[in-house]
Formats: sequence, C-alpha cells, structure tokens
Amino acid sequence: MEENNQAMFNDWCPGCGDFGILRGVESALSEMKLDFTDAVLVSGIGCSGKLPHLVSGPISGVHTLHGRALAFALGIKLANPSLKVIVNAGDGDTFGIGMGHFVSAGRRNASIVLIVHDNRVYGLTKGQASPTMPMGERTKALAKPNINESINPIALAVTSGYTFVARSFAYDTALTKELIKQAVSHRGMALIDVLQPCPTYNDINTNEWYRKRICKLEGDPEVHDSSETLGKMTEAIKNAYLEEDKIPIGIFYKNELVPTYEERIKEYIPDYLENYPAIHTIEKNGKPITSIERMLDARSVA
Amino acid sequence: MDIGWLIGGAQGAGVDTAANIFGAAIAKTGYYIFGSREYFSNIKGRHSYFSLVISDKPRYSVDTRVNILATFDAETIFQHFDQVSEYMLYDIALADTDIFKVRTIEPEIAEDQAEILKKAGYGTTVSEVIRYLNDRGVKAIPIDYGKIMRDIINTLKMDSFSVERARNMVCIGASFSMLGFDKKHIENAVSSAFGKKKEFMELNRLAAVAGMNAVMEKHYDFKELHIKDRRVQLDGNTISAIGKIYGGLRFQSYYPITPASDESTYLEANQILEVNSDKKDSKQGIVVLQTEDELAAINSAVGATLTGARAATATSGPGFSLMNEGISWAGMNEAPVLITYYMRGSPSTGLPTRSGQSELKSALNAGHGEFARVVIVSGDHSEIFEDAVNALNMAEICQTPAIHIIEKTLANSYSIMNRNDLFSDKLSIKRGKIVYPEEPEDYKRFEITEDGISRRALLGHAKMYYTGDEHNEYGHISESPRNRTEIYEKRIKKIKKASDYLADDEKVRVVGNSDTVLLTWGSPKGAILDAIEMLADKGIQIEMVQVRLFSPYPSELVKRAVAGKKRIIAVENNYNAQGAEIFTEQTGMAPTGYILKWNGRPIYRDELVEAVMEIVNKNSRKVVLNGGK
Repeated sequence: MEENNQAMFNDWCPGCGDFGILRGVESALSEMKLDFTDAVLVSGIGCSGKLPHLVSGPISGVHTLHGRALAFALGIKLANPSLKVIVNAGDGDTFGIGMGHFVSAGRRNASIVLIVHDNRVYGLTKGQASPTMPMGERTKALAKPNINESINPIALAVTSGYTFVARSFAYDTALTKELIKQAVSHRGMALIDVLQPCPTYNDINTNEWYRKRICKLEGDPEVHDSSETLGKMTEAIKNAYLEEDKIPIGIFYKNELVPTYEERIKEYIPDYLENYPAIHTIEKNGKPITSIERMLDARSVA
Repeated sequence: MDIGWLIGGAQGAGVDTAANIFGAAIAKTGYYIFGSREYFSNIKGRHSYFSLVISDKPRYSVDTRVNILATFDAETIFQHFDQVSEYMLYDIALADTDIFKVRTIEPEIAEDQAEILKKAGYGTTVSEVIRYLNDRGVKAIPIDYGKIMRDIINTLKMDSFSVERARNMVCIGASFSMLGFDKKHIENAVSSAFGKKKEFMELNRLAAVAGMNAVMEKHYDFKELHIKDRRVQLDGNTISAIGKIYGGLRFQSYYPITPASDESTYLEANQILEVNSDKKDSKQGIVVLQTEDELAAINSAVGATLTGARAATATSGPGFSLMNEGISWAGMNEAPVLITYYMRGSPSTGLPTRSGQSELKSALNAGHGEFARVVIVSGDHSEIFEDAVNALNMAEICQTPAIHIIEKTLANSYSIMNRNDLFSDKLSIKRGKIVYPEEPEDYKRFEITEDGISRRALLGHAKMYYTGDEHNEYGHISESPRNRTEIYEKRIKKIKKASDYLADDEKVRVVGNSDTVLLTWGSPKGAILDAIEMLADKGIQIEMVQVRLFSPYPSELVKRAVAGKKRIIAVENNYNAQGAEIFTEQTGMAPTGYILKWNGRPIYRDELVEAVMEIVNKNSRKVVLNGGK
C-alpha cells in the first residue's frame, strides 16, 4: 500500500469495542469542527493506543508510551493551552502502569479529556487481567482466577479531583459521542470510562452481558454551588458502586467551580492564556532576546 | 597569593549563608573567589562546610588544605584540624569537648581523626587539638561566642533562640577582620543579604561587628584591588537556570531531587521574563511544572516541545534512570528535549549530596535503542551558561534529546565571574528546521532528507503523527523492512549536524602546551587549570585537553590535541575512567596514566599537583586520590 497520511488500516479484532469508541471520537470531532489546528489526540500503548492513527479526518495524533499518555498530554496542554487535548488510553495503561499520573491529573484539573478503553484485560499481550477485572473472575486466557480486587475508575476519579466523570458503553456510540463533546467543552479534567467488550480475550463481560445490566443514570450530577460538592461527590461514588446487577452509564459528577490548572498558572503569569510558551518569540536574527539583567543584578557583587 | 578559608558547622546553622555573605564581601574588595560546598543528605544537625579560595585571579578549584579554619562548633574543629596551615578560630567554651562526645560525627571519621591525634601523642579534646596545632605552628584564636551572644541579647532584647543563630556571622566577621580588609564591606554584605527583614539585619550586622572586634589584630595585609568590570557571584544551579532562560527555555518540569531541584525552584521564582521585543509580548512566562515522578517530568517536557516551546527537565542519577523510556521515545520521535543531568555519587541512592562522574556512560547510553543524542558536559560555571544555550540549540537543530551534565560539585559551588564574559558573541539561538507548512494536510513529519533532519512543524500547524512504534515518513506505524532501514539510519546519521556551528573550543578545550597531557571532562577542569600554574612553579609543564562534547564526539579535534604526546593522563572523578574509555572507543588511542577519585569529593588542586608529580617523577601509572572530608 502506498504511504499516505490518511488513517491507517484498522487492525483491531472484528467486534472490538474500540470501533465504537473510534466512531464516537470521529463524530464528536466532526460535529465540533475540531481539526489539527485546535485539537490533538494523545494515546498510550495497547489496542487503544493505535486510535489516533485510525481516526479519519484532519487531526494530529501523538501515540506515546505505556502509562504515560497523560504526562505527554499535560505538557502539550500547558505549553499550548489553546489546543483541545483528548487522550485515549487503556485500563491497564491508565490504572496499572499509569496510576500515578491518573491521580495527579485530578489534583491538577487541567482541561484534558481522558477516554479509558475499559475491557478488563490486557488485550495486546494476550488477555491478562487488568486492574478493572473483579476478583475471582477468570476470563479465558487466565490460568487461575484473578486474585486482585478491582479498582473503581469512577469513584477514584471523583476522589482524585476530576471535575467531569462519566461512563459510557462502547456500543452506545451516540452516548459516547455526546459525552466526548461535553467533556471537550468542560473546563477541567474529564474522565470518560468506556466499558468495552474484548471479543477475543474477555469471554465473561461480553456485549450481551453488558446489555442486560446497563441503565441510564438519573438525576443532576452537576455542582451548581460549592456547598453541594460533598453531596454530589457522595452520590457519584454511590452510583459508581452499583455495578454487577446494574451498571449505570452517563455523567456521574460535574463541577466547573474548581479552578483549572490553566487558571492557576494564570494567577502567576497574567497573560498566559493568550501568550503561552508554544508561541513565544525567543530570538531575533539568531540572538537571544530574553533579558537576564535583573537576575544578574540580584547576584551582582561588584 | 591565594588564601584558603573553610567554615563549618551543623546543617541548618547557616554555614552556607555565612559563606555566601563572606564571599560577597570579599568580592567587593576586588578579589576573586571559588567556593565549594559539602554537606550530608540531612536537613539539620549533620556537619556541613564551605571551603573558599581567595585570589587576585579567577580560580576554579579549592585545596584540601586551608590557611584559615573558621569554626563555631566542635565537630568542625575535629573534622578539619589536620587541614589547616595558619589559623583556627574557635569557641572558647568548647575547650573540654571530646571528639567521642560529638554525637553527629560519623564513627569512622571520629576514629580516623582521633587516631591522628593519638599517634602524635595528644588527647582527643578541643584543647588537645589546640596544643597539636600550636606545636605545628598553627595559631588557635579563641572567640568567646557565649559572651558575644549574651551582649547582643541584652542590646536587642531579642530571644536567645534567634540570637544564637547569628554565631555564623560572628565567625565570618572575625575572619574578615583577620584578612585586613575594610570592615564596611562585610557590614554591607550582611545588610544586603538580610535587607528585607530589618530585625534580622540588625542582629546579623551586630554579630558580624562583634566578630570583627573579637579579632582586632590583622593577620594578613590584603590591599583592595581596583575593579574595572562588573562581577556576579553565581552557583551552578543558578547559572544553569539563567543560561536556560537566556537560551529561550519556556517549559520546565521536575520532580524534587538533590542536587537538581534548586534550578527548578529558581526558574519558578523568576518565571516572569522581560523580553527585548518590539511586539507586545515583551513579558513572557515560563511554565514550571512539579510532577508526580520523573516519568511525568520527562514525558511532559517532551509533550511541550511538540508544540514548539523550548522545554527541559532537570534531575540526577535516580531520576535520570526513570527517564530512560521517555528519552528513547524522544529519540524515536525526534523531539528536541533538554535534560539537565546533575551528577552525584552513585550507584543507587549513593551519595546524594556528594559529587562524582560515574554516570557519563549512563547518559551516553540512556534509553533503549540506537538514536541520535547530544551529550555535553560543563567544566566550570561560565561553561554551564554557554552549554545550556548550546544544548537547547543542538536539541532543536538535530531534533533529538540533549543531555547537559553538571556535577554536584559545580552545582553547589560558586564563582565570581565578570558579567560581560557571559555574553560572548558566539552565543546564538538556532532553532533548526522549524516550518509552518503551506500544505498542512499533506505534511511528512519524518521526511527522509539528505542530512537526516526533517522539516519540523509544530502541533497545531499541520496534520502529523507521532508514535514510539517504528513509523513511516508521516508518522504512521510501519513494520516494513525497507522503511525501517531508511528511517532508522536517518535518526542516527543526523547527529553529525548537531555541533557544526560550535567553535572548536566549545567541543574540546585545550589549555597549555606540553608533552604531558591531562585528559579530562567536567569539574576536574578547575583543579587542572589551577594546577597548571602551581606545577609550573615546580618546573613541570602540563597541558589540559578537556572534552566538552561527548555526543557527537569530536574525534578529530581530540586526536589532533593528543597526537604525539608523551603522556596522556586521564583525570576523572570515577573508578573506570569512563571519559577515557570513550576516548579510546572513538580515537583508538589510550591513556598512559590515570589520576582517579571516587570518594564522593571533587578533585582538589593540591592533591592533583602531588599526583601529577608522582606520575611525572616516579612513572607511576595510576594514582587514586582520597582528599576531602
């Protein structure tokens, strides 16, 4: 095949939940009219990591390291806060090897969207248990049942400081698209945990299994006044633990009253949002133009 | 004439502050200073000290021996009495203190120092040390710190806890007085150091004056020198930060680690920059990001560079190890990131606050796989400034990670420098092949070119793909053997271009002319430069060949510098002579002798002089140094 800069051939397994997420991403980008001039897709490692290469449309992609997608995304966002940064990462990627970044991203609340492809297994390495697989579960590639407890991405995001926390189902592309659009417009750190069958390695949490349990969340998850914060967080965590008999999807928690990381930086760099590092002019005719006189004055001894 | 002075005390007792103020006062008299700091990995209580050389010429290193030992506690006396040649200032109240009663002193050190006294027939108290010194022509000068403190408490009506903290000022006041300089300089230096807090300024000024009055007799007769230029006093962390700022750094990420963090702290404190621009962006801000770990530090910096910001991180050995995977991604994706690598004692946690050169090969081989990288090493404070700018340039010219090595000993020592010397005409900003493509939807980020360097568009300005997987010219994943062969070679061969614009002496510095070459890199440069003069006085000529750039390695320049020499002596702060191993790998030549040291302390100029004499006079092949406390 001739090399080109269009989307690569898609080599996900037939029936993979990733296709649904891909459609959601593509539709959200196109409906929001986002392209390479104002958005960038960042991903980690695993099946989900290939997503940026597979999106059709004029968008740039940065396919990074296992666990580190959020760290790259943060650097991109802070150096150029005008870009919308959308991260796609796996459950092992995010909650296994990259957990430190996941929690820290909540503390910072930078305006980044994290879409987790959550299928409870490490697919590309042939089906090991991921941090979201419940204890006792034994999917077909496991030699023994899983003896680790699972983490709860929604509850963890809420307690880590994420200000937009949602869950979707991979085959509900309309909801996924809608949540992505809302997350992209959100001021602050957003998680969309997308439940996803892995037709090759997860023979338990299948499409049918999910369809029987999935329901829509009800109620207003948004904090409209800071006095509601604790109540809404508690409600979100309660809903997050309904799993197994009932798996709600939708927005669990939303709070735009918390200052974003960009706003916190602006406190100290007043024109940061208009004049950010990516566009600074640093030389004129090849000569440095940054003055260091004040710094040398402070260390002047004679 | 050079005078060596050493002040010591418990960590947290203001040794560093005192040494800085003393140095600033000396600078006003027209003399130059080089000061070196040693301390434990500890917050309060362990022994730290600062050693200075005062000279009418710029100096680059210190001696193991000092003329004046300035103390205000017992441990400093016990640790350093065997290094002093002329005077020791001490607290009269400590006369009966025994070395084995000092709880903070490490048992091995206490035993070694007690052994020196016992062997010579002395006891192990401070008064016995004084007798030992007197018998060796060293004058011990008592200071009644207790009385001075009581007088200040009465005068200022301050609490004794605050006042007691000013003992360090008494100590530098007394030292300054001994040298015979005008007292106003130390008063001014104290005042400007504590300028913002009136109460503390007065306390410290009074303490310094009391110290001066305690030693009225001039022991030296220094005359003030006329200063023709403007001078600054800068340590390695600060000059690196200032160099990066000057070089256009606009994003720095870091995770706290000794001895690298001070650089990032300085950048954050000075993040609003004045820019000489007619545009309205005459103020610019550096984003300084404290991350959750070094993985986030390197990878966020790499992310930032993709947008066009000059971005860096700063770390030391343990953090650098964690950054390896990110460095490899940056190599694969041709991302120009700078890693300022503060080298300390290793392996593992090693000696976190001590110095060493044992990680050169770690820097040269960091990150799995073959890819272009820049590795540049500074030998003194003005080189740190120059190298910081050049490292940022080379990273962008070559579109690859650049590693700038600064050893702990330079990070925590300071020099007095002529301000204008920093602004060499050679210094420039070169951003390489940054483009804003006219057809941004058909842009090839990794286009194969003659020199291996592609046009570099920034995120937001063209459609592009990055991936750590092997990729084609567009950045899409490719496992094609043909593509792999071409693009792999491109990523390596481009390194040749990185340093084309540098002058020869920015790659290899040669000083002196002799058949005996000291081949070195990094901080030993300082001791060698000073030793050249000292050895000349003894009739021995030496030449220094200092390799500043290790990747791309300037093989031809190095070969030319050492061709036909009788002796090539590798001088390094490590066990294996790693710099010399690279020299052999790159030139096919080998050193004839070695002067090595790995005890965590820098190479001192007096021990270096002795080692060179041993090799020259006795034809020794290898001398291992162990100077310092």
